[in-house]
Amino acid sequence: MKNSRTICLLIFIGFCQVALLHAQTIRLSFIPKYGDKAMLLSDSAFKANDSTDLEIAELKFYVSNMQLLKNGEVVFTEGNSFHLLDAKQAQTLQLSMDTKQPITFDELKFDLGIDSSSNVSGAMGGDLDPTKGMYWTWQSGYINFKLEGRSKHCETRNKEYQFHLGGYQSPNSCLQTLRFQVDNPNRIALILNVKAILDKLDLAKTNHIMSPCTEAVMLSQMVANAFKVSKN
Amino acid sequence: MKKKLILLSVVCMVILAFRAANDSGIKVPANFPKPVYDFSKNPLTPDKVLLGRALFYDPILSRNNQISCSSCHSQFSAFTHVDHALSHGIEDKIGTRNSPALMNLAWQKVFMWDGAVNHLDVQALAPMSNPLEMDENLANVVSKLQATKLYPKLFLNAFGDSVITGEHTLKAISQFMLSLVSSNSKYDSVMRKQAAFNDQEQNGYTLFKKNCASCHKEPLFTNDEFKNNGLPLDTTLNDYGRFGITKNPLDSFKFKVPTLRNIEFSYPYMHDGRFKKLSQVLNHYTAEIHQSQTLSPELHKPIVLTSNEKVDIIAFLLTLSDKSFLFNPQYFYPKEIFSKAAKD
Repeated sequence: MKNSRTICLLIFIGFCQVALLHAQTIRLSFIPKYGDKAMLLSDSAFKANDSTDLEIAELKFYVSNMQLLKNGEVVFTEGNSFHLLDAKQAQTLQLSMDTKQPITFDELKFDLGIDSSSNVSGAMGGDLDPTKGMYWTWQSGYINFKLEGRSKHCETRNKEYQFHLGGYQSPNSCLQTLRFQVDNPNRIALILNVKAILDKLDLAKTNHIMSPCTEAVMLSQMVANAFKVSKN
Repeated sequence: MKKKLILLSVVCMVILAFRAANDSGIKVPANFPKPVYDFSKNPLTPDKVLLGRALFYDPILSRNNQISCSSCHSQFSAFTHVDHALSHGIEDKIGTRNSPALMNLAWQKVFMWDGAVNHLDVQALAPMSNPLEMDENLANVVSKLQATKLYPKLFLNAFGDSVITGEHTLKAISQFMLSLVSSNSKYDSVMRKQAAFNDQEQNGYTLFKKNCASCHKEPLFTNDEFKNNGLPLDTTLNDYGRFGITKNPLDSFKFKVPTLRNIEFSYPYMHDGRFKKLSQVLNHYTAEIHQSQTLSPELHKPIVLTSNEKVDIIAFLLTLSDKSFLFNPQYFYPKEIFSKAAKD
């Protein structure tokens, strides 16, 4: 009698676990930082460094094609996976994926930017709507990554720098695929360290990239390398 | 038996209706190929085309609410900017190119003289945002449209949603542009064996096929490719055409081959409107070809035409005029919509 009770209890617990697993939601947050400083933007620019008058006024980018993998095999692919992240709008930095099926995974994979097929598919809606300010007008194509601000090193109008990185055609395709080892957590936090990008640039020389070109590809690779999984 | 027949005919009608609904594109003229545009992603409906037509004629698309698409694309000139070598836009600012004629756009793969635009749906963004044309941006246009009495209703009719989006705005403009089909010229009637060329036109057609048709390919009269047609660089513009987009030196001086349909009405000619008359165009091809590395191979050997032959080619080109297109009331300024809105 006691045994059968235990068995029933175990079965019940098992069911609960399955049900819980069914409702698995993976939360992914992006944290823009400048070195160790948190970098949430508002209407006024983020002052990174008083000595160089370095400011960051705009940081927007697309992440797309989210996938979770286990031992190199894809176990989950997000549908309609296009997200525009804007450092001025905190809610856009929080993504959640409902896997529906219980899964275990050890790797997160996504694209920084918009794939070439979506770039030639005409007008699209949601985060891909051209009203979002991430679509070039004089030439077709999405801007994958936008970083703007000022630095005293820029001998430009208002000392501004502007990086609009995009381009979907070879040899200037800027799309970057990022992969991170993660240990099956329900929460993943990725840090984008803007300092790591700007430190590598000589803003006196490179301060405007506004079209698909070799420099845009190089800078896109630097941006991809500036993402890291948060250990906290 | 009777019942079965009725049932069968009902089934047939349903199937036919389904086919019509599935097509939802434009009526493809018998002598035309399959359109390039994917209508399954933006099926044409009368309400969407009408909304697109209103947007096409509405200066609300420009920063100062004074310039509409039709400012540089008027119907009587096959939707180009007649009489202007370089089109002028907002505050009479002068652009760098001749506005292209608009017709049979469902058969085009890329748009603009340099192919900068890769899909018809996103074409309108270019003139809308160009500081010399409309100097506006789509997000502003959407909020201006939303604030009107007229447009939320038109968007509701068209898309089932009165909340206006950039996607719907662009798709509606696309729908009107897709509806601009020119396929009823004398040339088309001859091809459909409903009419015949006169001797001069026939001779012109033969000469055309020999000398011009490799780029101006029938029945659309363009091969939709980029070619350097031997125009010397205008140093006041320094326009390198396709090179500006691809940055590939092999694309220098290449421009999109334009259609020749309705050419009688779409003067002046070339990307910078440098020729006012068709005779000048033919003189260019026979005597003024500027040699350069990227010159189209078709023009390496000189085109030789007598003056009579040139006249015959022009006679043939005039058979490409399509009055039923140039004066089609379905493309007119939608007076009924705007005057009703003004009264409301």
